[in-house]
Amino acid sequence: MKTFALKLRCAGAAVAALLACQGIAVAQNYPVKPLRMVVPFAPGGPNDILGRMVGQKLTETWGQPVVVENRGGAGGTVGLDAASRMPGDGYTVAMGGSSNLALAPSLYAKLAYDPQKDFTPIINVAVVPYALAVNPTVPAKNIKELITVAGRKAGYLSYGSSGVGSMSSLAAEMLKSMSKTDIVHVPYKGTAPALTDVVSGHIDMMLADLAVIKPHADNGRLRVIGVTGLKRSVAAPAVPTLAESGLPGYELSPWFGVVAPAGVPRDIVSRLNGAIGASLKAQDVVQRLASLGYEPLGGTAEQFAATIKADTAKFANIVRTAGIKPQP
Amino acid sequence: MLETFNSLMMGFAVAFDPKVFMYAVGGCIIGTLVGMMPGLGPLAGISLLLPATFGLNPIIAIVLLAGVYYGAMYGGSTTSILMRIPGEAASVMTCVDGYAMTQNGRAGPALAIAAIGSFFAGTVGVIGLMLMAPTLASFALRFGPPEYTALLLMGLFVLAYMSGGSMLKTLAMAFFGLLLGMIGIDVMSGYTRFSFGMVELGDGVGIVPVAVGLFGISEILMTAGQAEPPKVQRPKLRELIPSREEFRLSLGPIVRGSLLGFAIGIIPGSAHVISSFVSYGVERRLSKHPERFGKGAIEGVAGPESANNSAATGAFVPMLALGIPTGPVTAVMIAAIMVHGILPGPMLIQQQPDLFWGFVASMYVGNLVLLILNLPMVGLFVNLLRIPYAYLYPCVLAFCILGCYSVSNSVTDVWIMLAMGAIGYGLRKFGFDLAPVALGLVLGPMLELSLRQSLALSGGTYGIFLERPIALTMFVLALVLLAFALKPVIFKGKDWRAGVGLDDPPPG
Repeated sequence: MKTFALKLRCAGAAVAALLACQGIAVAQNYPVKPLRMVVPFAPGGPNDILGRMVGQKLTETWGQPVVVENRGGAGGTVGLDAASRMPGDGYTVAMGGSSNLALAPSLYAKLAYDPQKDFTPIINVAVVPYALAVNPTVPAKNIKELITVAGRKAGYLSYGSSGVGSMSSLAAEMLKSMSKTDIVHVPYKGTAPALTDVVSGHIDMMLADLAVIKPHADNGRLRVIGVTGLKRSVAAPAVPTLAESGLPGYELSPWFGVVAPAGVPRDIVSRLNGAIGASLKAQDVVQRLASLGYEPLGGTAEQFAATIKADTAKFANIVRTAGIKPQP
Repeated sequence: MLETFNSLMMGFAVAFDPKVFMYAVGGCIIGTLVGMMPGLGPLAGISLLLPATFGLNPIIAIVLLAGVYYGAMYGGSTTSILMRIPGEAASVMTCVDGYAMTQNGRAGPALAIAAIGSFFAGTVGVIGLMLMAPTLASFALRFGPPEYTALLLMGLFVLAYMSGGSMLKTLAMAFFGLLLGMIGIDVMSGYTRFSFGMVELGDGVGIVPVAVGLFGISEILMTAGQAEPPKVQRPKLRELIPSREEFRLSLGPIVRGSLLGFAIGIIPGSAHVISSFVSYGVERRLSKHPERFGKGAIEGVAGPESANNSAATGAFVPMLALGIPTGPVTAVMIAAIMVHGILPGPMLIQQQPDLFWGFVASMYVGNLVLLILNLPMVGLFVNLLRIPYAYLYPCVLAFCILGCYSVSNSVTDVWIMLAMGAIGYGLRKFGFDLAPVALGLVLGPMLELSLRQSLALSGGTYGIFLERPIALTMFVLALVLLAFALKPVIFKGKDWRAGVGLDDPPPG
């Protein structure tokens, strides 16, 4: 009996040693097989564009194919939920964003994943600046005038959003609660139909990606009131920030970053972070992002983790002040 | 006029550039194959292919995607006619009479008329697009939520003419469809409804898994339940060509379907799906022999197929003229050119004339290529029916599952499709007609959203529907339609329905 226990213990030690060796070997040889990039939205949007760009750059750097998998649905939470249940071995990564990583916990009481526990942050990729646009018939050239117009009567103006609990509705709710105005919310299914109705004048205003607003602003079908970031956007340097032009303290910078399922070894995290971080400085990537008006971020995995944490607290606060109740 | 002509000639020069032309043909072929895949329609086709276009030049990218779009539309009708499997919501109506024609041994004519109708409708659409895009687009912009509500309500009344069976059964099925449409996140409040805690149901039940299940899978089950295996068809060459009579009957539906589809197609939103339903209802109402519908009436293939195709072209009007996506498909197209830093909009014609006119010309070319490609292929496709059902159906089932899964990599969609197959089997055994379920599911969520958006805009006052001229006109029209539909019910008079016979076995 004693020998058996000893044998068992020896075997156990051997297995442990083997596993340890394998762990080192994994990090050294990583990556030895194709990676999977989960994009939790349908193709074509900023999340998809950034996900594919990162994937393509990783392929170029490591010579391993990166398979992009679009899993859209429920504001990007379906795809992240699926990704959170995949192995944390560094071969699965996902393109998350401030909506499904930081805003979702305050909106869904029963969110299927915990953004901070179920994921290993890798790197923050880019800020996609938001802008406030109004139909040109709205008699307001800047945010101060807009607040005056909106203040005439409760429900005098209406705003469109890509859905309740989306970044665009959060941005507008923030504006309402900070300017103490009452603007009617008309939700749509996605940014495109909402923007169409702002262009055609059925609704008055909307906050959305600067990149989709700009073409309409350039030909006079929309008037841009301001951008939501702390700094002016490089893509539209003439447009003031909302904070500087009459709504001090207003700031919203939606970002998109790469996360992996929880439990990815530290050295693999740093290899992923290093490779993606370097690619964000590559000339073609910089140019491509600039043409879309996106601003590259980069930084360490720890900085990204801190951003997720800080924005989660910030959004929870906005949701509470705006009086949006989390879903049961 | 001359300027337009010259620009178009420049467009043709672009479209016939060997490289561009090759991609246009390739797109049509890929699209046809994708569309023939059960469950994969135009949207799935171009979404799957979109990433592949990022490396191409923008003209080629958009020409390729447009080819895939048209090809998939056409390919979808092939599986609808031959196997009763719709690739997308718009081909649901084709399943009904197209498949009935196949069972009568007229698969060849059905396919040929679908190809010819699509070609005609595509051409009408392109001409309309070219000559009137800016005018039409600014008209289309006047369609806000209230107008949309009125339009969809009119669509709902088409139900009255859709089914030959009892009105009660038709309404019951429509309500079943509307109920299915209630599943998912309520856009106005953000709360999920009837999702049973499943995240995947958050965006609702997709029309594609439901349609493939109700029509395709149920058909496979019905066949398996027959005492004798159905006879394998051996079509002869002579039977592939539509008869003179069939051509004569199809002419009106093709012309009406093309105009109707184009008109509905230019309206921003997803209303273009209803064009094929409306066209079917119109043709049935106008027909001197409405009892033939559902049992293989060629008008029931010609009308909806044409409407479907010209609506597809119409959808490009606001996209090209204003840079506004009319629906998911055009949104993907806009993404495809925006990736290259080209911003669609009114300036597109001036800034990128070769892109704009090349695209328009390649639509002509694509339609022609599809016709040339598909007419000779009719024989080949029809010969698929020679495969004994014991081999054919398991393969079809496998492709259904594969196609349904690949749309959004979701196993839930596959389960929905299989469950709908079982439900569809049960309903057909009890003699229910299934097309109203599809219409209900398509219309329900759109109608609810636009109604509630209108009421949000008006602060809860229904007066908003009376203040807006377009909405008011359409409401009056809808009421007239309703009155016509109710008249026989109230006066017990002679209805076209009386000739159909309520106790007839249901179609399909």
